[in-house]
Amino acid sequence: MKRLALDELNLEAQPGAFAGTLMNSSRDLVIRVCQGDQEAFRLIFDRYSRPVIGFIYDMVSDRELAEELTQETFVRAFRAIHRMKPETKLSTWLFGIARNVARESLRARTRANMQVTLEHESVMDVSDQKSIPVDRLLSKELNELIRRALEALDDDKRLVFTLKVFHQCSYEEIAEITGFSLAKLKTDLHRARAEMRRRIQPYAGVGYEV
Amino acid sequence: MKCESCQEALEEYLDGELKDHEAREIAVHLAACSSCAAESSTFAAEQELFSRYDRDLAIPSSLWKQIAERTATPALRPVSENGFGARLVALFRVPSFAFSFAAAALLVVVALVIYATYLKTEKPKPFVAETATPRESSPKEQPAPAPPGSAEPQKHIALGNQKSVRRKLHAVKAITVEQSDVLSSDFGVQDIEDQETAKHIEQTQNLLQSIRNVKLNDNDVEIDVSYDKALSRRLLNENIVLRRDAEMKAKYPTKMLLSDLEPLLIDIANLPDQAKPEEVRVIKDRVQKTEIVAALIGY
Repeated sequence: MKRLALDELNLEAQPGAFAGTLMNSSRDLVIRVCQGDQEAFRLIFDRYSRPVIGFIYDMVSDRELAEELTQETFVRAFRAIHRMKPETKLSTWLFGIARNVARESLRARTRANMQVTLEHESVMDVSDQKSIPVDRLLSKELNELIRRALEALDDDKRLVFTLKVFHQCSYEEIAEITGFSLAKLKTDLHRARAEMRRRIQPYAGVGYEV
Repeated sequence: MKCESCQEALEEYLDGELKDHEAREIAVHLAACSSCAAESSTFAAEQELFSRYDRDLAIPSSLWKQIAERTATPALRPVSENGFGARLVALFRVPSFAFSFAAAALLVVVALVIYATYLKTEKPKPFVAETATPRESSPKEQPAPAPPGSAEPQKHIALGNQKSVRRKLHAVKAITVEQSDVLSSDFGVQDIEDQETAKHIEQTQNLLQSIRNVKLNDNDVEIDVSYDKALSRRLLNENIVLRRDAEMKAKYPTKMLLSDLEPLLIDIANLPDQAKPEEVRVIKDRVQKTEIVAALIGY
Protein backbone atom coordinates (compact mmCIF):
# COMPACT_ATOMS: atom_id res chain seq x y z
CA MET A 1 0.00 0.00 0.00
CA LYS A 2 1.56 3.24 -1.03
CA ARG A 3 1.60 5.99 1.53
CA LEU A 4 0.40 9.35 0.34
CA ALA A 5 3.08 11.99 0.40
CA LEU A 6 2.29 14.79 2.80
CA ASP A 7 3.19 17.50 0.37
CA GLU A 8 0.84 16.10 -2.26
CA LEU A 9 -1.97 16.04 0.26
CA ASN A 10 -1.34 19.59 1.26
CA LEU A 11 -1.40 20.76 -2.29
CA GLU A 12 -4.60 18.92 -3.01
CA ALA A 13 -6.16 20.41 0.06
CA GLN A 14 -5.76 23.98 -1.09
CA PRO A 15 -7.04 24.53 -4.59
CA GLY A 16 -6.02 27.91 -5.83
CA ALA A 17 -3.87 28.66 -2.86
CA PHE A 18 -0.60 27.66 -4.42
CA ALA A 19 -0.45 29.55 -7.67
CA GLY A 20 3.16 29.44 -8.75
CA THR A 21 4.25 27.25 -5.87
CA LEU A 22 4.53 24.09 -7.94
CA MET A 23 7.63 25.48 -9.56
CA ASN A 24 9.21 25.98 -6.17
CA SER A 25 10.40 22.94 -4.29
CA SER A 26 10.34 23.23 -0.52
CA ARG A 27 14.13 23.24 -0.50
CA ASP A 28 14.29 26.11 -3.00
CA LEU A 29 11.84 28.09 -0.94
CA VAL A 30 13.88 27.56 2.22
CA ILE A 31 17.04 28.76 0.45
CA ARG A 32 15.23 31.83 -0.84
CA VAL A 33 13.89 32.65 2.62
CA CYS A 34 17.42 32.37 4.03
CA GLN A 35 18.48 34.88 1.37
CA GLY A 36 15.86 37.29 2.69
CA ASP A 37 13.05 36.63 0.22
CA GLN A 38 9.85 37.34 2.14
CA GLU A 39 7.69 36.26 -0.82
CA ALA A 40 9.19 32.75 -0.60
CA PHE A 41 8.10 32.58 3.01
CA ARG A 42 4.63 33.64 1.92
CA LEU A 43 4.59 30.66 -0.46
CA ILE A 44 5.62 28.36 2.37
CA PHE A 45 2.79 29.78 4.46
CA ASP A 46 0.29 29.24 1.62
CA ARG A 47 1.43 25.67 1.20
CA TYR A 48 1.58 24.60 4.82
CA SER A 49 -0.77 26.84 6.81
CA ARG A 50 -3.79 24.58 6.35
CA PRO A 51 -2.21 21.34 7.58
CA VAL A 52 -0.45 23.21 10.38
CA ILE A 53 -3.62 24.90 11.64
CA GLY A 54 -5.50 21.59 11.35
CA PHE A 55 -2.84 19.81 13.35
CA ILE A 56 -2.79 22.50 16.04
CA TYR A 57 -6.58 22.55 16.20
CA ASP A 58 -6.58 18.80 16.80
CA MET A 59 -4.18 19.38 19.68
CA VAL A 60 -5.92 22.32 21.38
CA SER A 61 -9.57 22.01 20.22
CA ASP A 62 -10.03 25.77 20.03
CA ARG A 63 -10.30 27.69 16.75
CA GLU A 64 -9.08 31.08 17.92
CA LEU A 65 -6.25 29.58 19.88
CA ALA A 66 -5.31 27.43 16.87
CA GLU A 67 -5.03 30.60 14.74
CA GLU A 68 -2.84 32.29 17.35
CA LEU A 69 -0.61 29.25 17.67
CA THR A 70 -0.34 28.91 13.89
CA GLN A 71 0.86 32.48 13.75
CA GLU A 72 3.42 31.73 16.47
CA THR A 73 4.53 28.57 14.64
CA PHE A 74 5.27 30.42 11.41
CA VAL A 75 7.01 33.28 13.20
CA ARG A 76 9.27 30.81 15.02
CA ALA A 77 9.85 28.95 11.77
CA PHE A 78 10.92 32.16 10.05
CA ARG A 79 13.34 33.00 12.84
CA ALA A 80 14.88 29.53 12.87
CA ILE A 81 14.78 28.60 9.18
CA HIS A 82 18.47 29.33 8.62
CA ARG A 83 19.26 26.63 11.19
CA MET A 84 17.17 24.00 9.41
CA LYS A 85 19.24 21.02 8.29
CA PRO A 86 19.22 20.43 4.51
CA GLU A 87 18.15 16.80 4.90
CA THR A 88 15.11 17.70 7.02
CA LYS A 89 11.72 17.65 5.34
CA LEU A 90 10.06 21.05 5.62
CA SER A 91 6.65 19.67 6.61
CA THR A 92 8.20 17.48 9.33
CA TRP A 93 10.15 20.44 10.64
CA LEU A 94 7.07 22.68 10.70
CA PHE A 95 5.00 20.04 12.47
CA GLY A 96 7.78 19.73 15.04
CA ILE A 97 7.59 23.47 15.77
CA ALA A 98 3.78 23.36 15.81
CA ARG A 99 3.88 20.49 18.23
CA ASN A 100 6.14 22.43 20.61
CA VAL A 101 3.98 25.54 20.37
CA ALA A 102 0.80 23.55 21.03
CA ARG A 103 2.40 21.68 23.90
CA GLU A 104 3.50 24.91 25.58
CA SER A 105 -0.02 26.23 25.24
CA LEU A 106 -1.52 23.05 26.68
CA ARG A 107 0.86 23.20 29.61
CA ALA A 108 -0.23 26.74 30.32
CA ARG A 109 -3.80 25.61 30.83
CA THR A 110 -4.48 24.23 34.24
CA ARG A 111 -4.89 20.50 34.42
CA ALA A 112 -8.07 20.87 36.40
CA ASN A 113 -9.68 23.02 33.73
CA MET A 114 -8.78 20.51 31.05
CA GLN A 115 -10.33 17.66 32.97
CA VAL A 116 -13.53 19.58 33.53
CA THR A 117 -13.68 20.42 29.82
CA LEU A 118 -13.10 16.83 28.76
CA GLU A 119 -15.68 15.45 31.14
CA HIS A 120 -18.20 18.06 30.20
CA GLU A 121 -17.88 18.06 26.43
CA SER A 122 -16.49 14.75 25.32
CA VAL A 123 -17.81 12.13 27.61
CA MET A 124 -21.13 13.52 28.72
CA ASP A 125 -22.31 14.89 25.40
CA VAL A 126 -21.32 11.90 23.27
CA SER A 127 -23.11 9.54 25.61
CA ASP A 128 -26.34 11.44 24.97
CA GLN A 129 -26.31 10.62 21.27
CA LYS A 130 -28.18 7.71 19.79
CA SER A 131 -26.67 5.11 17.51
CA ILE A 132 -26.92 6.22 13.89
CA PRO A 133 -25.64 4.15 10.93
CA VAL A 134 -22.61 5.85 9.49
CA ASP A 135 -24.13 6.37 6.03
CA ARG A 136 -26.95 8.34 7.64
CA LEU A 137 -24.65 10.50 9.70
CA LEU A 138 -24.52 14.02 8.35
CA SER A 139 -21.03 15.23 7.79
CA LYS A 140 -21.50 17.82 10.52
CA GLU A 141 -22.52 15.16 13.01
CA LEU A 142 -19.67 12.92 11.96
CA ASN A 143 -17.18 15.76 12.36
CA GLU A 144 -18.51 16.52 15.82
CA LEU A 145 -18.35 12.85 16.77
CA ILE A 146 -14.75 12.50 15.64
CA ARG A 147 -13.75 15.80 17.24
CA ARG A 148 -15.09 14.79 20.62
CA ALA A 149 -13.59 11.32 20.45
CA LEU A 150 -10.27 12.88 19.51
CA GLU A 151 -10.51 15.35 22.36
CA ALA A 152 -10.96 12.53 24.84
CA LEU A 153 -7.62 10.93 23.91
CA ASP A 154 -4.65 11.80 26.04
CA ASP A 155 -2.06 14.18 24.56
CA ASP A 156 0.47 11.61 23.34
CA LYS A 157 -2.13 9.39 21.72
CA ARG A 158 -3.90 12.33 20.08
CA LEU A 159 -0.57 13.53 18.75
CA VAL A 160 0.45 10.27 17.04
CA PHE A 161 -3.10 9.53 15.87
CA THR A 162 -3.46 12.96 14.25
CA LEU A 163 -0.08 12.80 12.53
CA LYS A 164 -0.69 9.29 11.19
CA VAL A 165 -4.38 9.29 10.33
CA PHE A 166 -5.02 12.90 9.30
CA HIS A 167 -1.59 13.90 8.00
CA GLN A 168 -0.33 10.53 6.69
CA CYS A 169 3.10 10.94 8.30
CA SER A 170 5.31 7.86 8.32
CA TYR A 171 6.35 6.30 11.63
CA GLU A 172 9.82 7.70 11.05
CA GLU A 173 8.46 11.22 10.55
CA ILE A 174 6.25 10.92 13.62
CA ALA A 175 9.25 9.82 15.67
CA GLU A 176 11.17 12.84 14.39
CA ILE A 177 8.34 15.26 15.17
CA THR A 178 7.45 13.89 18.58
CA GLY A 179 10.78 12.55 19.79
CA PHE A 180 9.04 9.29 20.74
CA SER A 181 10.67 5.92 20.20
CA LEU A 182 9.18 3.70 17.50
CA ALA A 183 7.93 1.26 20.14
CA LYS A 184 6.12 3.99 22.06
CA LEU A 185 4.51 5.55 19.04
CA LYS A 186 3.31 2.17 17.74
CA THR A 187 1.79 1.36 21.13
CA ASP A 188 0.20 4.81 21.42
CA LEU A 189 -1.13 4.65 17.87
CA HIS A 190 -2.63 1.22 18.38
CA ARG A 191 -4.27 2.29 21.62
CA ALA A 192 -5.50 5.55 20.12
CA ARG A 193 -7.12 3.68 17.23
CA ALA A 194 -8.73 1.22 19.64
CA GLU A 195 -10.08 4.06 21.79
CA MET A 196 -11.39 5.98 18.79
CA ARG A 197 -13.06 2.81 17.53
CA ARG A 198 -14.63 2.19 20.92
CA ARG A 199 -15.96 5.73 21.16
CA ILE A 200 -17.26 6.03 17.64
CA GLN A 201 -18.55 2.53 16.95
CA PRO A 202 -21.63 2.69 19.22
CA TYR A 203 -22.81 5.89 17.56
CA ALA A 204 -21.80 5.18 13.99
CA GLY A 205 -23.06 1.65 13.47
CA VAL A 206 -21.12 -1.58 13.82
CA GLY A 207 -18.47 -2.41 11.25
CA TYR A 208 -18.40 1.02 9.61
CA GLU A 209 -20.27 -0.15 6.51
CA VAL A 210 -19.97 2.85 4.25
CA MET B 1 1.32 -17.34 7.92
CA LYS B 2 -0.96 -17.72 10.93
CA CYS B 3 -3.94 -15.44 11.52
CA GLU B 4 -2.41 -14.24 14.78
CA SER B 5 0.76 -13.06 13.03
CA CYS B 6 -1.29 -11.45 10.29
CA GLN B 7 -3.45 -9.53 12.74
CA GLU B 8 -0.42 -8.36 14.69
CA ALA B 9 1.12 -6.89 11.55
CA LEU B 10 -2.13 -5.75 9.89
CA GLU B 11 -2.02 -2.20 11.23
CA GLU B 12 1.54 -1.64 10.04
CA TYR B 13 0.67 -3.29 6.72
CA LEU B 14 -2.23 -0.92 6.12
CA ASP B 15 -0.08 2.01 7.25
CA GLY B 16 2.41 1.05 4.54
CA GLU B 17 5.17 0.53 7.07
CA LEU B 18 6.14 -3.09 6.35
CA LYS B 19 9.02 -4.19 4.18
CA ASP B 20 8.09 -5.47 0.73
CA HIS B 21 8.51 -9.17 1.51
CA GLU B 22 6.51 -8.84 4.76
CA ALA B 23 3.75 -6.95 2.95
CA ARG B 24 3.62 -9.67 0.29
CA GLU B 25 3.17 -12.34 2.97
CA ILE B 26 0.26 -10.44 4.49
CA ALA B 27 -1.31 -9.86 1.08
CA VAL B 28 -1.11 -13.58 0.29
CA HIS B 29 -2.68 -14.44 3.64
CA LEU B 30 -5.47 -11.87 3.22
CA ALA B 31 -6.33 -13.32 -0.17
CA ALA B 32 -6.76 -16.75 1.40
CA CYS B 33 -8.27 -15.94 4.82
CA SER B 34 -11.75 -14.45 4.93
CA SER B 35 -11.59 -13.67 8.64
CA CYS B 36 -8.42 -11.57 8.36
CA ALA B 37 -9.69 -10.02 5.13
CA ALA B 38 -12.85 -8.91 6.96
CA GLU B 39 -10.75 -7.32 9.68
CA SER B 40 -8.67 -5.57 7.05
CA SER B 41 -11.85 -4.24 5.39
CA THR B 42 -13.15 -2.92 8.70
CA PHE B 43 -9.87 -1.15 9.30
CA ALA B 44 -9.90 0.33 5.80
CA ALA B 45 -13.51 1.51 6.28
CA GLU B 46 -12.46 3.14 9.52
CA GLN B 47 -9.65 4.95 7.71
CA GLU B 48 -12.14 6.10 5.10
CA LEU B 49 -14.41 7.40 7.84
CA PHE B 50 -11.60 9.43 9.38
CA SER B 51 -10.61 10.76 5.98
CA ARG B 52 -14.04 12.44 5.84
CA TYR B 53 -13.24 14.43 8.96
CA ASP B 54 -13.45 18.10 8.09
CA ARG B 55 -12.52 20.62 10.76
CA ASP B 56 -14.09 23.40 8.71
CA LEU B 57 -11.17 25.66 9.42
CA ALA B 58 -10.53 28.69 7.27
CA ILE B 59 -7.28 30.57 7.06
CA PRO B 60 -8.17 34.18 7.82
CA SER B 61 -6.48 36.69 5.55
CA SER B 62 -5.36 38.61 8.61
CA LEU B 63 -3.21 35.67 9.68
CA TRP B 64 -0.55 36.21 7.03
CA LYS B 65 -0.60 39.97 7.61
CA GLN B 66 0.17 39.45 11.29
CA ILE B 67 2.95 36.97 10.50
CA ALA B 68 4.40 39.32 7.88
CA GLU B 69 4.40 42.18 10.39
CA ARG B 70 6.12 40.10 13.02
CA THR B 71 8.71 38.66 10.65
CA ALA B 72 9.52 42.01 9.09
CA THR B 73 10.29 43.88 12.30
CA PRO B 74 13.70 45.60 12.20
CA ALA B 75 14.88 43.62 15.21
CA LEU B 76 14.80 40.44 13.15
CA ARG B 77 16.53 41.86 10.11
CA PRO B 78 20.32 42.03 9.89
CA VAL B 79 21.72 45.34 11.12
CA SER B 80 22.80 47.80 8.43
CA GLU B 81 26.19 46.89 6.98
CA ASN B 82 27.87 50.25 7.51
CA GLY B 83 26.45 51.14 10.87
CA PHE B 84 27.92 50.84 14.30
CA GLY B 85 25.68 47.84 14.96
CA ALA B 86 27.17 45.94 12.03
CA ARG B 87 30.66 46.56 13.29
CA LEU B 88 29.57 45.47 16.73
CA VAL B 89 28.09 42.25 15.36
CA ALA B 90 31.22 41.63 13.30
CA LEU B 91 33.30 42.17 16.40
CA PHE B 92 31.47 39.36 18.12
CA ARG B 93 31.44 37.07 15.13
CA VAL B 94 35.21 36.74 14.83
CA PRO B 95 35.91 35.74 18.43
CA SER B 96 33.12 33.18 18.37
CA PHE B 97 34.67 31.63 15.25
CA ALA B 98 38.12 31.79 16.78
CA PHE B 99 36.84 30.26 19.96
CA SER B 100 35.47 27.23 18.14
CA PHE B 101 38.86 26.76 16.45
CA ALA B 102 40.64 27.10 19.75
CA ALA B 103 38.29 24.58 21.36
CA ALA B 104 38.89 22.11 18.52
CA ALA B 105 42.68 22.60 18.76
CA LEU B 106 42.54 22.08 22.53
CA LEU B 107 40.63 18.85 22.04
CA VAL B 108 43.23 17.60 19.55
CA VAL B 109 46.06 18.45 21.99
CA VAL B 110 44.28 16.67 24.86
CA ALA B 111 43.73 13.62 22.67
CA LEU B 112 47.43 13.57 21.67
CA VAL B 113 48.56 13.88 25.30
CA ILE B 114 46.30 11.01 26.32
CA TYR B 115 47.59 8.91 23.45
CA ALA B 116 51.24 9.71 24.31
CA THR B 117 50.62 8.82 27.96
CA TYR B 118 49.05 5.58 26.87
CA LEU B 119 52.06 4.73 24.68
CA LYS B 120 54.44 5.43 27.56
CA THR B 121 52.61 3.20 29.99
CA GLU B 122 52.25 0.37 27.50
CA LYS B 123 55.50 -1.62 28.04
CA PRO B 124 54.31 -5.08 28.90
CA LYS B 125 57.52 -7.04 28.20
CA PRO B 126 59.84 -5.47 30.80
CA PHE B 127 57.10 -5.75 33.39
CA VAL B 128 56.55 -9.38 32.58
CA ALA B 129 60.30 -10.08 32.83
CA GLU B 130 60.37 -8.39 36.18
CA THR B 131 57.32 -10.16 37.43
CA ALA B 132 58.61 -13.53 36.28
CA THR B 133 61.37 -13.41 38.92
CA PRO B 134 59.95 -11.30 41.64
CA ARG B 135 62.04 -12.86 44.39
CA GLU B 136 65.32 -12.88 42.49
CA SER B 137 67.62 -9.96 42.97
CA SER B 138 70.86 -9.09 41.29
CA PRO B 139 74.09 -9.22 43.25
CA LYS B 140 74.30 -5.42 43.02
CA GLU B 141 71.10 -5.16 44.92
CA GLN B 142 72.29 -7.47 47.70
CA PRO B 143 72.81 -5.49 50.88
CA ALA B 144 76.48 -5.26 51.81
CA PRO B 145 77.38 -6.99 55.08
CA ALA B 146 77.37 -4.43 57.82
CA PRO B 147 79.29 -4.35 61.00
CA PRO B 148 77.39 -5.92 63.80
CA GLY B 149 75.51 -3.55 66.00
CA SER B 150 75.17 -0.77 63.42
CA ALA B 151 71.80 0.55 62.19
CA GLU B 152 72.58 -0.16 58.52
CA PRO B 153 71.01 -3.64 58.23
CA GLN B 154 67.62 -2.30 59.28
CA LYS B 155 67.94 0.47 56.71
CA HIS B 156 68.75 -2.04 53.97
CA ILE B 157 65.91 -4.25 55.00
CA ALA B 158 63.65 -1.25 54.77
CA LEU B 159 65.01 -0.40 51.34
CA GLY B 160 64.65 -4.02 50.31
CA ASN B 161 61.03 -3.92 51.42
CA GLN B 162 60.43 -0.74 49.46
CA LYS B 163 61.88 -2.33 46.37
CA SER B 164 59.82 -5.43 46.73
CA VAL B 165 56.73 -3.30 47.22
CA ARG B 166 57.67 -1.32 44.13
CA ARG B 167 58.13 -4.55 42.19
CA LYS B 168 54.80 -5.78 43.35
CA LEU B 169 53.26 -2.52 42.21
CA HIS B 170 55.00 -2.93 38.86
CA ALA B 171 53.68 -6.45 38.66
CA VAL B 172 50.16 -5.29 39.43
CA LYS B 173 50.54 -2.46 36.94
CA ALA B 174 51.79 -4.89 34.30
CA ILE B 175 48.83 -7.13 34.88
CA THR B 176 46.53 -4.15 34.82
CA VAL B 177 48.00 -2.93 31.53
CA GLU B 178 47.66 -6.37 30.00
CA GLN B 179 44.11 -6.69 31.27
CA SER B 180 43.19 -3.25 30.03
CA ASP B 181 44.34 -4.32 26.59
CA VAL B 182 42.14 -7.37 26.75
CA LEU B 183 39.22 -5.36 28.06
CA SER B 184 39.56 -2.68 25.43
CA SER B 185 39.26 -5.32 22.75
CA ASP B 186 36.02 -6.46 24.41
CA PHE B 187 34.57 -2.97 24.68
CA GLY B 188 32.83 -3.30 21.32
CA VAL B 189 31.03 -6.47 22.40
CA GLN B 190 30.27 -5.02 25.83
CA ASP B 191 28.89 -1.84 24.30
CA ILE B 192 26.60 -3.79 21.99
CA GLU B 193 25.32 -5.86 24.91
CA ASP B 194 24.74 -2.75 27.01
CA GLN B 195 22.97 -1.07 24.10
CA GLU B 196 20.75 -4.12 23.66
CA THR B 197 19.88 -4.10 27.36
CA ALA B 198 19.23 -0.35 27.30
CA LYS B 199 17.02 -0.70 24.22
CA HIS B 200 15.17 -3.60 25.79
CA ILE B 201 14.61 -1.65 29.00
CA GLU B 202 13.38 1.36 27.06
CA GLN B 203 10.86 -0.74 25.14
CA THR B 204 9.69 -2.47 28.33
CA GLN B 205 9.41 0.91 30.03
CA ASN B 206 7.16 2.17 27.22
CA LEU B 207 5.00 -0.93 27.42
CA LEU B 208 4.59 -0.70 31.20
CA GLN B 209 3.97 3.04 31.00
CA SER B 210 1.21 2.48 28.50
CA ILE B 211 -0.34 -0.15 30.79
CA ARG B 212 0.02 2.12 33.79
CA ASN B 213 -1.56 5.07 31.97
CA VAL B 214 -4.45 3.17 30.41
CA LYS B 215 -7.77 4.74 31.31
CA LEU B 216 -10.16 2.08 32.53
CA ASN B 217 -13.80 2.83 32.25
CA ASP B 218 -16.39 0.93 34.26
CA ASN B 219 -18.52 0.71 31.14
CA ASP B 220 -15.80 -1.08 29.17
CA VAL B 221 -16.66 -4.69 28.51
CA GLU B 222 -13.39 -5.66 26.91
CA ILE B 223 -10.10 -3.98 26.15
CA ASP B 224 -8.06 -4.82 23.08
CA VAL B 225 -4.57 -5.69 24.34
CA SER B 226 -3.49 -7.85 21.42
CA TYR B 227 -0.65 -5.51 20.44
CA ASP B 228 0.66 -5.21 24.00
CA LYS B 229 0.41 -8.94 24.43
CA ALA B 230 2.45 -9.66 21.30
CA LEU B 231 5.02 -7.06 22.30
CA SER B 232 5.23 -8.50 25.80
CA ARG B 233 5.91 -11.98 24.43
CA ARG B 234 8.80 -10.71 22.39
CA LEU B 235 10.18 -8.69 25.30
CA LEU B 236 9.83 -11.68 27.61
CA ASN B 237 12.05 -13.82 25.39
CA GLU B 238 14.61 -11.02 25.20
CA ASN B 239 14.39 -10.49 28.95
CA ILE B 240 15.23 -14.11 29.77
CA VAL B 241 18.31 -14.06 27.53
CA LEU B 242 19.53 -10.69 28.85
CA ARG B 243 18.92 -11.67 32.48
CA ARG B 244 20.97 -14.87 32.13
CA ASP B 245 23.68 -12.92 30.39
CA ALA B 246 23.77 -10.29 33.15
CA GLU B 247 23.95 -13.04 35.76
CA MET B 248 26.88 -14.73 34.03
CA LYS B 249 28.77 -11.46 33.80
CA ALA B 250 28.02 -10.61 37.44
CA LYS B 251 26.02 -7.51 36.52
CA TYR B 252 23.80 -7.98 39.53
CA PRO B 253 21.84 -4.67 39.47
CA THR B 254 20.88 -5.31 35.84
CA LYS B 255 20.03 -8.92 36.63
CA MET B 256 17.83 -7.86 39.57
CA LEU B 257 16.00 -5.30 37.46
CA LEU B 258 15.38 -7.79 34.66
CA SER B 259 14.21 -10.39 37.20
CA ASP B 260 11.67 -7.89 38.51
CA LEU B 261 10.34 -7.31 34.99
CA GLU B 262 9.72 -10.92 34.14
CA PRO B 263 6.57 -11.61 36.19
CA LEU B 264 4.91 -8.52 34.75
CA LEU B 265 5.83 -9.43 31.20
CA ILE B 266 4.54 -12.97 31.74
CA ASP B 267 1.22 -11.63 33.04
CA ILE B 268 0.79 -9.25 30.10
CA ALA B 269 1.77 -11.98 27.62
CA ASN B 270 -0.86 -14.29 29.15
CA LEU B 271 -3.73 -11.84 28.84
CA PRO B 272 -6.43 -12.74 26.34
CA ASP B 273 -6.53 -10.53 23.22
CA GLN B 274 -9.75 -8.96 24.48
CA ALA B 275 -9.03 -8.58 28.18
CA LYS B 276 -11.53 -7.73 30.88
CA PRO B 277 -10.98 -4.39 32.63
CA GLU B 278 -10.35 -6.23 35.95
CA GLU B 279 -7.52 -8.21 34.40
CA VAL B 280 -5.86 -5.07 33.06
CA ARG B 281 -6.50 -3.23 36.32
CA VAL B 282 -4.64 -5.90 38.33
CA ILE B 283 -1.53 -5.48 36.18
CA LYS B 284 -1.88 -1.71 36.11
CA ASP B 285 -2.05 -1.64 39.94
CA ARG B 286 1.02 -3.83 40.20
CA VAL B 287 2.98 -1.58 37.84
CA GLN B 288 2.01 1.42 39.97
CA LYS B 289 2.62 -0.30 43.30
CA THR B 290 6.05 -1.71 42.43
CA GLU B 291 7.13 1.63 40.90
CA ILE B 292 8.96 -0.43 38.31
CA VAL B 293 8.71 2.33 35.69
CA ALA B 294 10.69 4.69 37.94
CA ALA B 295 13.33 1.97 38.37
CA LEU B 296 13.52 1.54 34.59
CA ILE B 297 13.84 5.27 34.04
CA GLY B 298 16.58 5.31 36.69
CA TYR B 299 18.47 2.60 34.80
